[in-house]
Amino acid sequence: MIHRNVDAVVIGGGSAGLAAALALRTAGTTVAIVEREPFLGGILLQCIHSGFGLHEFRQDLTGPEYAARFVGPVREAGIEVFLNTTVMEIGEEPTGRSVIALSQNQGVVRFATRAVVLAMGCRERNRGNVAIAGTRPAGVLTAGLAQRLVNIEGCIPGRRVVIVGSGDIGLIMARRLTLVGCDVLAVVEIQPYPSGSARNIVQCLNDYSIPLHLGHVVTRIEGRDRVEAVRIAPLSDGRADAGKERRIECDTVLLSVGLIPENELSRAAGVPIDEGSSGPHVDADLMTGAPGIFACGNVLHVHDLVDYVTEEARRCGERAAAWLSGARKDAMLPVVPGANVRYVVPNACAAGRKNVFYLRALVVKNDALLDVRVGGRQARSQKLSHVQPSEMIRFSLEPDAVPERPAGEEAVVEVSIR
Amino acid sequence: MKENTAAGLEMICIACPIACRLTVSQSGPDVTVTGNRCARGDAYGREEFHAPMRIVTAVIPTDSAQFPCAPVRTDKPVPRDKVRELLQKLYATRVALPVQSGDVVITDFDGARVIYTRTLPPDEVASIGEPGAESKGDDKVS
Ligand SMILES: Cc1cc2nc3c(=O)[nH]c(=O)nc-3n(C[C@H](O)[C@H](O)[C@H](O)COP(=O)(O)OP(=O)(O)OC[C@H]3O[C@@H](n4cnc5c(N)ncnc54)[C@H](O)[C@@H]3O)c2cc1C
Ligand code: SF4
Repeated sequence: MIHRNVDAVVIGGGSAGLAAALALRTAGTTVAIVEREPFLGGILLQCIHSGFGLHEFRQDLTGPEYAARFVGPVREAGIEVFLNTTVMEIGEEPTGRSVIALSQNQGVVRFATRAVVLAMGCRERNRGNVAIAGTRPAGVLTAGLAQRLVNIEGCIPGRRVVIVGSGDIGLIMARRLTLVGCDVLAVVEIQPYPSGSARNIVQCLNDYSIPLHLGHVVTRIEGRDRVEAVRIAPLSDGRADAGKERRIECDTVLLSVGLIPENELSRAAGVPIDEGSSGPHVDADLMTGAPGIFACGNVLHVHDLVDYVTEEARRCGERAAAWLSGARKDAMLPVVPGANVRYVVPNACAAGRKNVFYLRALVVKNDALLDVRVGGRQARSQKLSHVQPSEMIRFSLEPDAVPERPAGEEAVVEVSIR
Repeated sequence: MKENTAAGLEMICIACPIACRLTVSQSGPDVTVTGNRCARGDAYGREEFHAPMRIVTAVIPTDSAQFPCAPVRTDKPVPRDKVRELLQKLYATRVALPVQSGDVVITDFDGARVIYTRTLPPDEVASIGEPGAESKGDDKVS
């Protein structure tokens, strides 16, 4: 067994973990990153397409290039990195926290630490989460797994492919599989609008004439050993219209039906989870309900832009370092979602400093208005040319927006879209 | 701006998230864009009509068991019509590791270069998974 004593342990070496660890190290704390894969970078390494870094670097980078911008500095900063090492448990100690991990080559690694940063990312919803009828043949896999197979392992999961769900990963894979010689026969989306970005609809589907069936569901997957076909039907009044059902012969079904923050470890450590975001409930310092445990990136809430992951994780590292150095917590107000808002992260707002928030809308709307109220009084109103659930919205409140001593016990910050 | 839509080319503007539906049509030398809410849409419609360009990314096979794929990209957009031709070239390539991110794979394809986007070590030196092995030149991306 290996023992390590560090100020902070970062769980996960994706874009969130890398930025948080760097911020912690820059502030003078000792940090270790624990990553279960044999490399740093997380999901970015399988995202070989471009479109990363437009905010953070004002450049159009691929996933691996974006990751490298952080892996180099992490190496130079003297941050200890444990690869092929999976965290099994976060425990409580009289002096702080323990983190127990299992290394492929070295066995058990035990950290005694004072702060933990959760940066485990998210996982994909699979067939069990969406309930599609039919047999259980081989050939049904998530889009992200397909992406890993094609871009990292170098194998192609099938020939004739139907994609269920129009999230960005599914769209990216529609193009990717087409370019490696597969026939992508259809993308089937239950909503009347696509859930991926317009850019990906155009460049991944329209460029290759891949049909997108909006307002359609997969009614059945057929095949004994391997997928042989799927049946799809349009929805009318919320139910599949059996009269208009049709059969598409294929050997592979890709699921791109959403991502869920990966919080088994957090739950086991007693971290309270927010229902709206499915990630930990966090205060304005991105500290969870368990003292000394912080969270950032996709484990906190699912991001669509890596640039915002980096921004959030850097702030998380900075606040964790401040907490470690014994800084007094600022006064905080709870932040709650109002009309048409699914969630707002973080769940609290600190008085007297700038606060950055991310939210997801519940509606699709042009010319909407973001309405932020502090204790019922409007603190910010901002025009939004277009909102939709699949596009995260970022906004900030200036230091004077929240009074140092807010009037009334029940004062909250309410965020709505009108 | 009363162009016959039946004769026009339909597309979605992707210059911003509003995603206006554009119709681009040509009569004689004049190209008109309709459906755009702003000037960027007009410019986008024209470029897509005359010469759509795309960044191309792909992986090429390596000789390594540990890292079988080396990801690559064009350093600038290439004509959309030539994407397949470029891919054929790339798929016919096989590379021996190590490779360095930024190194050139193809020096000139229609004015663009194709470069690696990830640094990959050769198999022998990749001693993976050692705690604290960060400084030993192991398999970490850089
Ligand atoms: C397919 C896809 C396409 C995308 N395309 C774009 C795009 O075009 N542009 C853009 O800006 N953004 C894009 N994004 C979004 C963005 O890249 C991601 O949201 C971001 O990189 C997530 O970073 P993360 O660090 O939170 O998670 P991850 O990168 O998933 O990192 C989490 C890490 O934690 C590790 N881990 C998990 N559990 C444990 C454990 N118990 N012990 C040890 N390690 C553990 C995992 O192995 C992983 O490496 C895309 C995302 C995906 C999935
Ligand atoms: S035309 Fe203008 S408003 Fe419409 S999508 Fe394009 S950039 Fe946006």
